[in-house]
Amino acid sequence: MATRQLRYREALREAMIEEMERDPNVFLMGEEVGHYQGAYKVSEGMLEKFGEKRVVDTPIAESGFAGVGVGAAMVGLRPIIEFMTWNFSAVAFDQILNNAAKVRQMSGGQFSCPIVFRGPNASARQVGSQHSHAMEHFYATVPGLKVVAPAFPKDAKGLMKAAIRDDNPVLVMESETLYSVKGDVPDDLSDVVIGKAQIARPGKDVTLIAYSRATHIALDAATELEKVGISAEVVDLRSLRPLDEDTICDSVRRTHRAVVVHEGWPYGGVGAEIVDRIQRLAFDSLEAPVLRVTTLDVGMPYNAKLEQLCMPQKERVVAAVTKVVSRGRA
Amino acid sequence: MAKILDMPKLSPTMEEGVLAIWHKKEGDVVGVDDLLAEVETDKATMEFRSFDKGALLKILVAPGATVKLGQPVAVIGEPGEDVSALLASIAGAAPAADPPPAKEAAKEGTTAAPVSEEAPKTLAPPPAQPAQAAQAAVPQRPRAPKDALAFLTRTEQLEDDMPVTPVNGAKALASPFVRSRARELGVDLGNIAGTGKHGRVLPEDLAQTRAITVSNAQSGAVGPTQALARATHTLAEPKLVPLSPMRRTIAKRLVQSKQTVPHFYLQIDVRAEALVTLRESINAELAREKPKGDAAPKKISVNDLLVKAVATALVRVPECNAQFSDEGLLYHQRVDISVAVAVPDGLVTPVVRDADKKSVVHIAEEVRDLAARARQKKLKPEEMSDGTFSISNLGMFGIDQFSAVINPPEGAILAVGQVRDEPVVEDGVVKPGKRLALTLSCDHRVIDGAVGASFLAELRALIEHPMRVLTG
Repeated sequence: MATRQLRYREALREAMIEEMERDPNVFLMGEEVGHYQGAYKVSEGMLEKFGEKRVVDTPIAESGFAGVGVGAAMVGLRPIIEFMTWNFSAVAFDQILNNAAKVRQMSGGQFSCPIVFRGPNASARQVGSQHSHAMEHFYATVPGLKVVAPAFPKDAKGLMKAAIRDDNPVLVMESETLYSVKGDVPDDLSDVVIGKAQIARPGKDVTLIAYSRATHIALDAATELEKVGISAEVVDLRSLRPLDEDTICDSVRRTHRAVVVHEGWPYGGVGAEIVDRIQRLAFDSLEAPVLRVTTLDVGMPYNAKLEQLCMPQKERVVAAVTKVVSRGRA
Repeated sequence: MAKILDMPKLSPTMEEGVLAIWHKKEGDVVGVDDLLAEVETDKATMEFRSFDKGALLKILVAPGATVKLGQPVAVIGEPGEDVSALLASIAGAAPAADPPPAKEAAKEGTTAAPVSEEAPKTLAPPPAQPAQAAQAAVPQRPRAPKDALAFLTRTEQLEDDMPVTPVNGAKALASPFVRSRARELGVDLGNIAGTGKHGRVLPEDLAQTRAITVSNAQSGAVGPTQALARATHTLAEPKLVPLSPMRRTIAKRLVQSKQTVPHFYLQIDVRAEALVTLRESINAELAREKPKGDAAPKKISVNDLLVKAVATALVRVPECNAQFSDEGLLYHQRVDISVAVAVPDGLVTPVVRDADKKSVVHIAEEVRDLAARARQKKLKPEEMSDGTFSISNLGMFGIDQFSAVINPPEGAILAVGQVRDEPVVEDGVVKPGKRLALTLSCDHRVIDGAVGASFLAELRALIEHPMRVLTG
């Protein structure tokens, strides 16, 4: 079985191209996806390949083109709606929350909404308070939506293809700082499915639970922890809703300790949800409270150093793990 | 030149310390290596010694205050030096002391950009104060970046691992994992000396514990005994029998007796031929009497004769019919003999009241009735309490001699073995004889050796001339 090295953005592009070649109902729409070749070059070359009917440049009107996408999905097309970043989806929130997520329920099952919303999410570099949001926490709370957040090129491709083929609205959370990350992408992606986490690194002393860019922070922390004799297992969620609570809890049952790492604020959100699962489903396995290393509970500062201070960092993960593994020990 | 003394790093993992006590006061002259204060770190109470000489000009932190590493705690310099400028400089800089109990949980959701007034205590503990003023909480404008960060990273912090007040009867400090593992193994965490902080039971403590399990054999699931067998690999699985109320009482009272009553033991071997002969002739007489109705013919045992003999001896040596109390020695005005009776899951001690005033036949009937009802568990509590002296007889089990544990609060117990056929020397001639070993266990607080010996001498005389037992 062939495996190639691809960048994260190339993996996403391949997924879209393969699905568009396979199914003429699939099309890409968003700001700068066509003639500009994508704000982050994810859709580079696709306009040339598929033409303006299937790679559609839109005005700067997220609510409008998100709504067009929902309508198109309701009548049988399979749109991929790119937000230049997920920050801009805020103005289209009503389309996603009230139309995409609700149309099957509200129509009594007469309409489905097989749509993909995708784009880079969470922090980039110095894009300021209003453009650094980790929007997955808002969307993962909505029944009727699926939310995935791949960390590696392989999962980016696999989850993008799965999202396009899914008959529900699926939100693909990418990361600007991951677009250039390279990784092995096999031809066979059958093990990449929505709702299934993976063990990105096995370990025995503590479980680090992360997704998207935070998975790489967790892996770096695990490497650091190994030097001091702490064996950290990294669970890469890949899918935030549905959440693979089995993989999370199985790991915690083996390690007895957990630290959640994600971008975005600590109040509520995906990390709090994970902590709920652990305390509810693996309570009797816990040796220590579950800690969360997240973006600090403030609006993101523009100042580069303050921004780094606010974002989850390897050092903070190492410190949190040190606390939970030494908890209660004299 | 005055300088600020900061909270030093007194252990490798120390992040903050509680200033436990100052050993110098303001104005004291301090030499290098003088003990300034004691600081409770995460590990232990450590000495805080001076690296400088001079005078302790200002104490900035009151005893009991929690101080982060590197925060100012005092000012040292030349005696009489003006330190107001220095104090002003640190008052404007980072604050130092969290007076206890300054552990404030900021309300979730009342955060903080721009810095919110909702969580001022976490964001800004009061700045360093002179000792006298440090006690008073002075509300301050939030401006402490370090503590703001502590608030913002709150989901990365563990609560201090403080000693926990036992709740719901749980004595041990242990995690949910250790508790559930202990339940699986049937281990009582209260019996484990935890090696963690504040005695917390760690998983490895559990692994090293030979489990004392409580059976749950009825449950179809994998029970604690099976789990124990697995956990201990090679050890065979014990059969677990839950403690019955009687077993609990026996355990409690005998531990109390052996641990609090100073036992000593006096042993004699008495000639028993006459006793056995007397018993046989009495039983022959009783057999000749016509029993009323269906009642079995009356008969007496050696033990019945011994009950009567002991009662008689106690009348003659009343110092042995006594018990100890904190108020003084209690000399009983009655002779109530407790007779140990084995029952299927333990033993009980029904009491023959006023045994000195009853005939042997009467005693025999009473003991037989008490023993029968004891085995049926139909004795009333008052029939098993307030004896003044006990007899335990294991003769019927083939025991030659043994020592008994005193039945508190009684002062003594007589252990009776079996009548032994053995060669005895009489007038220089070896001939077949019968011997009986008696061991008196005495509470030395109330019965001394000589008193016990005189009681046994009386008893020996009675047993060896048993007609005196019948005549009282």
